[in-house]
Formats: sequence, C-alpha cells, structure tokens
Amino acid sequence: MPELKTELRNNIEQLLNDQAVDVVIAFKKADLPLRPQPAFFRNVEELEDLEYNGLCQNNLANYLTRYPHDTKIGIVVRGCESRSVNALIVEKQHPRENLYMIGVPCQGILDIRKIINKTGEDITDYSEDGDQVSVIFKGNEIKLQRSDLLHDSCLRCVHPNPVNADVLLGDPLPEGDPTIVRQAIEEFEALDRDERYAWFQKEAERCIRCYACREACPMCYCTECFVDHTTPRWTESDISQAGTQAWHIIRAFHQAGRCTSCGACERACPMDIKMTYLTDKLNKDMLEVYQFEAGMDDNTPPPFASFNLDDKNRFVI
Amino acid sequence: MMYILVKKNLDQKLSEWSAKYEVVAPQKVEAYSQFLPFTESSELALNEPHNTRYPPKSLFLPQSEVMLKYNKRLNKFDEIRILPEKRIIFGIRPCDASALTLLDTVFDTEEYQDPYWAGRRENTILVGLGCSEPPSTCFCTTVGYGPFNHDGLDAIMTELDDVFVIEALSAKGEKLFSDFPAATNEHELSVLRIQSNAKQGMNQAFETEGLKQTLDHLFESDYWSEIAESCLGCGVCTYLCPTCFCFDIVDEVQRNERVRNWDTCMFRIYSQEASGHNPRPTISERTRQRLMHKYSYWLDHIEKIGCTGCGRCVRYCPVGLDIRAMLRTASNFESEVVNVG
Repeated sequence: MPELKTELRNNIEQLLNDQAVDVVIAFKKADLPLRPQPAFFRNVEELEDLEYNGLCQNNLANYLTRYPHDTKIGIVVRGCESRSVNALIVEKQHPRENLYMIGVPCQGILDIRKIINKTGEDITDYSEDGDQVSVIFKGNEIKLQRSDLLHDSCLRCVHPNPVNADVLLGDPLPEGDPTIVRQAIEEFEALDRDERYAWFQKEAERCIRCYACREACPMCYCTECFVDHTTPRWTESDISQAGTQAWHIIRAFHQAGRCTSCGACERACPMDIKMTYLTDKLNKDMLEVYQFEAGMDDNTPPPFASFNLDDKNRFVI
Repeated sequence: MMYILVKKNLDQKLSEWSAKYEVVAPQKVEAYSQFLPFTESSELALNEPHNTRYPPKSLFLPQSEVMLKYNKRLNKFDEIRILPEKRIIFGIRPCDASALTLLDTVFDTEEYQDPYWAGRRENTILVGLGCSEPPSTCFCTTVGYGPFNHDGLDAIMTELDDVFVIEALSAKGEKLFSDFPAATNEHELSVLRIQSNAKQGMNQAFETEGLKQTLDHLFESDYWSEIAESCLGCGVCTYLCPTCFCFDIVDEVQRNERVRNWDTCMFRIYSQEASGHNPRPTISERTRQRLMHKYSYWLDHIEKIGCTGCGRCVRYCPVGLDIRAMLRTASNFESEVVNVG
C-alpha cells in the first residue's frame, strides 16, 4: 500500500504542476488514525497530508456535483467510485472532458466498527501491509487479517477495478464472484413475506432521519429531496414507522439502475442500519431484467431513465 | 455520604426499583448502545468507555413527539399532556447530565416553560456513571466539565472492580441510596485516585479562552468554507449532540396529529424560506451556525459554552470531521488573517 500511495502522490503532483486540473479529490490524514477524510488538493504543498488506505470509507464521487461543470476535476477512484462517476457523467452531472479519473484497483474498504469490535476504541496508530492490518491499542500492537475486517458491501464486490479511468495505478485485481452477492439476495428473497417485512421493519425502525445515507451517496444529488417537499408532502416527517419506512423504500427505489453497491450509505449510518439488501436486490433485478449494471460505461442511460419505441423488454418488472 | 452497590446485585436492584419507577439504562442495540427501559432480559452496556451513541436527551425531548390530535370534521382538538412516570435514568454520563442543565435554560425559564420538558425533568432521578478511562475522542475537561462532573446529577457512581461507589448529590439521590451499605475508607480512596487519574489523562483539545472573539471575527471569512469542504450536510453531529435542541413542529395531516420533531441547522431546509431564499445557502453557512451557536451564541445567552465535550460528533461523523481540529484551526486562521492584514 505505501508504494501505491507514493505512486498516487506523484501522479497528483504532476496533474497539479501541469495545471491539468483545478482540484484533485482524494483523501487526507486526520488526527484520528482510523478516520482519513475526503480532501481537496489544489496545491502541491498540501500533498504532504495525502492518504490512501483501506480506511478511506467515503465515495468521493459524492463531491463531483458540488462543482460547476467547467471545473477541471481530478478524482481518485476505486471500482465502485469510478462507476458512480460514470453514472454521474451519464446523468450529465459533470462533462467527461473536465474529469481526470485516477484509478486504483480496490482491495476493499475496511469497516471501522469491525476493527473497534475486535480491539477497543482508542486506537492510536494504524498500518496495513498486504493482508495484514496492525493497530496500536493502549500501547499494544494488535495484528488483524484484512479479510476479517472488510465492509459487508466490499465482501460482495464484483468490480474492484476502476472502469473508464484515465490512468490506472497498481495492478488490476481479479473480478469478484457475482454469486456471492446473488446468494445474499436470494436468501433474502427466499424468506416469506412476513419474514421479509420483519427484517425491513427491524432495520427501518432504528432510523433517526439524519439523512447521512442520502448525503453520503453520490447518486442522491437532488437539490430538493422528496422528503423535504412540503407542498405536497410525500411522507410523514417524523420517526414514526410510516415515516421511516417510506424513506427507506423510496430512497432505494430512486437508486434502481444507479446504485453501484459502494456501501457508503451503510458506512455513514450512525444507527448501523443495513440498507444495501434493498439496493442490491434492485441491482440484481436490473441485471436480470435489463442486463444493466450502473456505471459500466459513461454513455448508457439507466433503463428507468430511457425509453425506446422498439423496446423488446417487458415494460414492468 | 458514599454508598456501595455490589455489581452482582445490580440487576436485582434495578428490578426492585422497577416496581416503583420506570428504570432506564444503557443497553446494546446492534453494535451501539442506547438508553432503553430496563427489563429482566436487558443486556446493560455500562462497560463502554463513553456515553451511548444515541443521546439520552431523547428521554426529555423525544425525537418525535405528538403534541396534539385534531379532528377537522368536528372542529376540535385534544392536547396531549403526558404525565411522566417517576423515572430513574441509571448510568447516564456526566457530559449528558450537564447538557440537560444547559437545555434547562432553553426549555424551563421564568419566561417560558415547556411543560413536556419540565414534567420529565421533575419526575426523573439521574444516577450518573463517571468515566474512569475517557477515550481520546472525549473532551469534557476542555470545555469546563470533567469525567466525574456533578452538574445535573442526583448521584454519581465510580466503578471499582466489584462495586460501584455512589456519591449522593441531591436530596433525591440521598433518598434513593440511603439504605445502601456505606463505602469504606478504602473505597473512597480508590474513588479519589480513579477520578483524579481520569481527569489528568485528558488533554486540552483546543483553547477556549478568546475562542468566541476569534469565531466572531471570522464570521465573514473563508474559514467556514475551508473547514466545511468535506462536510456532507447530514444530521449526525447535531442529532447525536446532547446540547442541540432545535425542533420543528409539523402537522401530520394523514393522521391528524401535530408533531414536534428534532430539526438541525445542518439541513438546507432548516433555513429555507417560503420565498425560495435561503440565508444559509451552503454547507459553509450551516457549519458556521452550528459552531457559532455552540461556542459564541450560547455565551451571549448564559455565558457558557453550549458543548459538554461528549465526543459524539467526533466519533460518528461519516467523513471524520473533528470539531476540535476545526476549532484549533480557527485560532491559526485568525492569526494568518491578522498577519496578512
């Protein structure tokens, strides 16, 4: 990983020196060793703080929609992030020619909560080397296996390699096994209606309507979200069952054919709510019914955002 | 007077209290903890190094609360007045208890009294649990409190190996524990040692002296857009914050109820005006409001910082933003401005 970081740094440095971009969206070190932050590099001097490791938990594509279309943006992208960027290009949220995608094959994002569960909270240092992760907790070094710490979404990842990147740093990784994600969804689908509802209810009832899931998602860029509409009101605004369930269902539906299974929503959730079983189910349907996966290129619109008079597919799922 | 509660008798004691009071204590939910009513099957989460993730302010200011029900056809309404049961909140941390005393200055003043808040405060006994080993994300001592601060508590517990040593801090607390065995000198010495170690182990996270003036000077500066650049604009920091109290009152017309919900200055819609104008159009202005409220406006009102250093906003920010680092930057930013000027 350190070599990759050096390569990344050199690459960004050159982009900034050449004035090929106005800003590079990447990650920087923070005071808390487990919490690298999204960062926006405009000067080479700032690159001292650059960070890249398994703890970089946000989807950086989320920040693209904050910039005017004429801003030249460099952005570090892993597999899912590159697909989010592609999906945003398709939705005309930033022109491709003003983007420079620095691709990094992704070994998976680590779930901070899984680390803390195994060690304890006050971790003072963190490093990773291949499959090994090492943390310092109360002065003692604890070695952990990377594979035990992967975020659930990353355990099911199918496309770890960036799609459509301008440059690829590091060696491409083997594609993930699509049966793993399918199996998880099929298990959910196999439950009877009451069991599925009980599952959904148990997750949705913890929601505190903080909308961290929405704000962490690159595809949730509406200026006004449906829950914020007041005339008319689409959902109950409180944390009643009706209010939280409506939020979770409608949020997921708006992602059909757009979600890249990055899991940023789940990692942002302060109440540990599982959300990706809904979006993964929709992704599976999109693949089966329309042979479509979001963000695999930068020009095919998602099935629900396009129509074709010669459409051979069924109209309704 | 100090008493002891033997740990192995804890469940039994809570069950006994449950006959007379509603007992609420921190319990595990998934990987986090939250205050929930105690039952015989409760799995208590008292051994976490810090407070619960979901704040106990919700026990006084619920996230959503029905205030009245109405019937448009009959043109009448029923006000909901909840008469709270007598309650014991067991194991609340000093930061959360002191936050309640700050919120009293909002909800229970001579001029205005919120009957929901005041009723619940009146009927509740707060038994605190001091923090023997505060994690590095906590910063109570920086903002004038401490891991064994007494503000708002009726009693405070210090955890030893087999017992909790309890110090009663009010008449309510004294009454609750008066038939408990007295602590020995040895217990009391251990308590002193633990309390002093806990406090000494905490660093000054940022300078509070002159902080208000610094922030006031920075009001129109670029400081806010710099510190807020990665902020997502979600409600995690404010909803989990024990001192954030903003609410919105909404008519849920589908069910004929008027509801009070938590609201947050970090949401765009919070300051959106009916005309379409938004005086806080971006995340920078919203971040400014959040920080200025805590470290400037509270001081204008009650001469106290509106933050008790509970650390939740630091621990749970989805992008790892750290309010302490933001405030440290403020002083630096100001000196740069001054130097350049």
